[in-house]
Amino acid sequence: MLLTCPSCKTKNFLDPYPFWNFKGTTQCAGCKKIWRLETSNGACVSGPAEASGKADLLPGFAETQAYEGISGPGLTRPAPKAQKESICKPKAIKRNVRGNVIAGYPLTKNDLVGSLAKFMVAGAK
Amino acid sequence: MSSAKTIPWPAVPIPTPEEVYAGLSDQAKDYPLYLESICRQSHAFEKPEALARLRVYDTTTRMMIGHWCSSLLAELGAEVIQVEPPGGDPMRKLTPFGRKEYMFTDKESGEPVGAHFLHEMRNKLSVTLNLETEEGREIFKKMAVHTDVIIENDPPGHRDSLGIGYRQLKEINPRLIYCWVGQLGQWGPHKDKPGMLDPTAQAACGFCHGTGDPKEFGGTPMRSALWMCDHVGGTQAAMGILTALYYREVVSGEGQFVEATSAEAVIRILDYSWAWYGMDGSIRPRFGNWDLAINIYAVNPCKDGYMMVGGGHDRLWYRIWRVVGDEYPKVEDDILGDPHLREVADRLAMNQQIKTYTMLGEWLKDNSRSDAERKLSKQQVASGGVLYVNEVAEYPHFKYRGHVAETESPHYGKILYGTTPFQQAKTPGRLKWMGRPTGYDNQDTYRRLLGLTSEDFARLQKANVI
Amino acid sequence: MATDTAVSNAPQISFEEFCRKTFDPKGEFAKPEALKGIRVLSCTQYILGPSCASYLAELGAEVIKIEAPRRGEAMRHTTPFNEPFLYPLSKHVPERGTGLGFVGANCNEYFIAIDFHRPEGQNLVKKLAAKSDVFVENYRPGTFDRWTLGYRQLSAINPRLIYQWLGGFGGWGPGRVRASYDILGQSQGGNFGMTGKAEFMGGSPAKHTIWLADYWGGMMGAVQILAALYYREKISGEGTFMEYSQVHGVTRQLEYALPLYGRHGITRERWGTWDTQLCVHGIIKCGKSSYPNSENPQENEEGYILVSAYSDEDFARLCKTIGDGNFAAKYAKGDDRVKAQAQMEIYPALEKWAADKTKEDVADILDKANINNQPVWNSKEVATNPHWQQRGSVRWIDDPYYGDLLHQGPGYKLSATPPRTKWALKPVGADNEYILGKLAGLSPADIKRLEDQECI
Repeated sequence: MLLTCPSCKTKNFLDPYPFWNFKGTTQCAGCKKIWRLETSNGACVSGPAEASGKADLLPGFAETQAYEGISGPGLTRPAPKAQKESICKPKAIKRNVRGNVIAGYPLTKNDLVGSLAKFMVAGAK
Repeated sequence: MSSAKTIPWPAVPIPTPEEVYAGLSDQAKDYPLYLESICRQSHAFEKPEALARLRVYDTTTRMMIGHWCSSLLAELGAEVIQVEPPGGDPMRKLTPFGRKEYMFTDKESGEPVGAHFLHEMRNKLSVTLNLETEEGREIFKKMAVHTDVIIENDPPGHRDSLGIGYRQLKEINPRLIYCWVGQLGQWGPHKDKPGMLDPTAQAACGFCHGTGDPKEFGGTPMRSALWMCDHVGGTQAAMGILTALYYREVVSGEGQFVEATSAEAVIRILDYSWAWYGMDGSIRPRFGNWDLAINIYAVNPCKDGYMMVGGGHDRLWYRIWRVVGDEYPKVEDDILGDPHLREVADRLAMNQQIKTYTMLGEWLKDNSRSDAERKLSKQQVASGGVLYVNEVAEYPHFKYRGHVAETESPHYGKILYGTTPFQQAKTPGRLKWMGRPTGYDNQDTYRRLLGLTSEDFARLQKANVI
Repeated sequence: MATDTAVSNAPQISFEEFCRKTFDPKGEFAKPEALKGIRVLSCTQYILGPSCASYLAELGAEVIKIEAPRRGEAMRHTTPFNEPFLYPLSKHVPERGTGLGFVGANCNEYFIAIDFHRPEGQNLVKKLAAKSDVFVENYRPGTFDRWTLGYRQLSAINPRLIYQWLGGFGGWGPGRVRASYDILGQSQGGNFGMTGKAEFMGGSPAKHTIWLADYWGGMMGAVQILAALYYREKISGEGTFMEYSQVHGVTRQLEYALPLYGRHGITRERWGTWDTQLCVHGIIKCGKSSYPNSENPQENEEGYILVSAYSDEDFARLCKTIGDGNFAAKYAKGDDRVKAQAQMEIYPALEKWAADKTKEDVADILDKANINNQPVWNSKEVATNPHWQQRGSVRWIDDPYYGDLLHQGPGYKLSATPPRTKWALKPVGADNEYILGKLAGLSPADIKRLEDQECI
């Protein structure tokens, strides 16, 4: 359910699985106001009404009306990660987990012999 | 289990070809009708069987992997003889929640069998033999002369210690293809222990850890409802057996030893987990019903259940939102206006997926599975609802194609079952019968293979060898 | 035939040693390949079709993967979190890489590119098909037929061709026009709805984390192909057409659900991490993390473990181990403890006992009590586990294009003609010169012209 905060208009994304049949409070990631609401089968059937106390469940993600993302501890729920940091963009990986050479970073045509990276031809370790 | 009165199947008649292809031009009908003419199961018994010359002894018990493997061979025409301990494979007794009333009963003998065992006891004969007795082992050695394949799943080394393992039987029959199946292996620091069963393999191969909701969403590792690793492992075992068969016939004239484990079969198909860890130490997280590598490609709640929508391409992304926009134009506008969702690659981050599926949920909450599928298919987007087994059984497409069928067993009556997916033009898979009481084929099999007499039978049964 | 005496007198190594030697991954390349001389064309994309061909490639078939020129097929652009890629994607596009979604489904193959839409491309495919044994494709039904590359056309050129189509819903029937993905197959085939936390525990259907319907579907396709190769060589001398519907495969796997529904009208429901037919045989939470100080959030999680004590003797011993006298008496019999209510009492009690332990602590205690158990291992624990390393199920390979890669090994072992992993993948069109020169008689000038035109 999309909860547009009645107070600050931040778009709070109450993601489907935990919020599909929900009864309790959540917190606006923009202004931190607590909102009580009830959803049934994905639709809001009660609220949002102003409330106090600690939120039962934080939104999955939020953003401003201008599409600026809001996330972080105490604001939205943490995302599952495969490592300490997740950049979600192509990574330049030159050495693998055991320190050996790997063709894991972008190349140019000058780096190639046919379809093969030159440094691979040399059999570098 | 949710319960309903027994209903005849199908509840709704199966569509006819005339109904299915109504209104189509000859050109549009040409290819599907061509396929029907060569692949429909109704033609299956007119055609030969690929493995008609193959004999297999399935001597596995307590697990599904061996029975699954031998089912595939049996569907393709092999003569599969299930060699069970006297009293039958203990798996016959399994029934959901211990409910005896869910079992099927042999009309002749009154012997009950659980539906789990029954469903895999297809096209197979059953004999009993006690391999824990010396005489039983002597009989087994004599039988080994007459078979192409033996499948077993005893604890590692057990058959070898009894003198009826691969090392011994290959001396008796050099053409023998001997296949051991299990959860983790016959050798290695964690080899199989007696009594191990799926989902041991699921937990050991990384499958469970990666399945289910993320911890951050209150989730835990999850197993497949099915003994899934056994299915995949049994399929790899069949692949190994057929490879050995091909090589024996075409090249070597000799058999070989096949080892297949449930865990390794699934390790083989844990897609990118290993390469990912190897590249930068990433450990694959659970991601619920969404995907680490593709957005939109997920199952989410909808008005009447759960709905799968898929479309990783850019083209499909816009088509999906166009469908949503028909009812929620503001949602489509928001998505199209979002700079963080413009590039395909940018849509993968968790935050972007949360937004994507929250917004899609605004539309899904008002659309049932069939509504959603109908609307999305107009834009050629792949979608469909999560179906429960009662829905699968009645789905027109599956009934028409015979994914689900009913067989009538002289022993057990009418049985609804999942049919063989081996649809072929020349040597299609087929079901001949489902279910076989324990030891039903003792007389026939032992007489024709070993020439046992009535006296032999009496003595052996008394000694609990057969 | 050796006599009993001869066999028993022969010095024998232990069975485990025998297996270790027989199936040693390091010994694979010394042994012949079962499918030497068999040629396979893989006109496939995503996972279902490609994986089918890859299983044949492990057995030594010459598998030629044919993709769209320059950028290749869609799976090359699929990678977890958009992070890891292998470069170059092709010699024309070196700044982009192949995503890891492509890994595992395309090993040991040769990679050429052909634009199927163009007549010149279609003619190239026909030339290759004339010399091939197996043709695997998973495009929408009828597509290859329209391109004059379907079974009807190719079998006229090569009657020995074994043609395998794989796809979601099949090429005939009311749903034949539907596109399909793996999780759509899972959803519609029936295994999705029965997997996951139970309804009464607030759960919902859970997808299998792997592309199960597709990867396992490819295996089923390979099983049919192997049977067809055998049948062709031994009996018929002819090829055949085979159809594999991945949704059909999922429905085949539903175990007792269909017979139960047909006989009693009962719909199999979700039962989470426990088992519907055996107790104790379920996964429980262990309260402590095995790596509390790790920087990787995956390792900070508490542990889970499968506890398997479903025989009466094992259950009694389990109760003794956890210091419970209540259940030992109440649920001594298997039939009693497999009931839903009993399971709802027993597993929480086990989790209470495990709440202050790591999964290794629990495994240790249970091992000593001779109770079967299996810790739920994450992908790193599996990848670094000596058991899988020794057996070659996960192995480091020296890939000629990409370097030191960790890769899945074959999923089964053969003593005389073992499957093996040679390389993971190659850039799009990397083998254009080699394959099209060798099999289609194209000169280097032809190849350059066609590559410039993006025909290959």
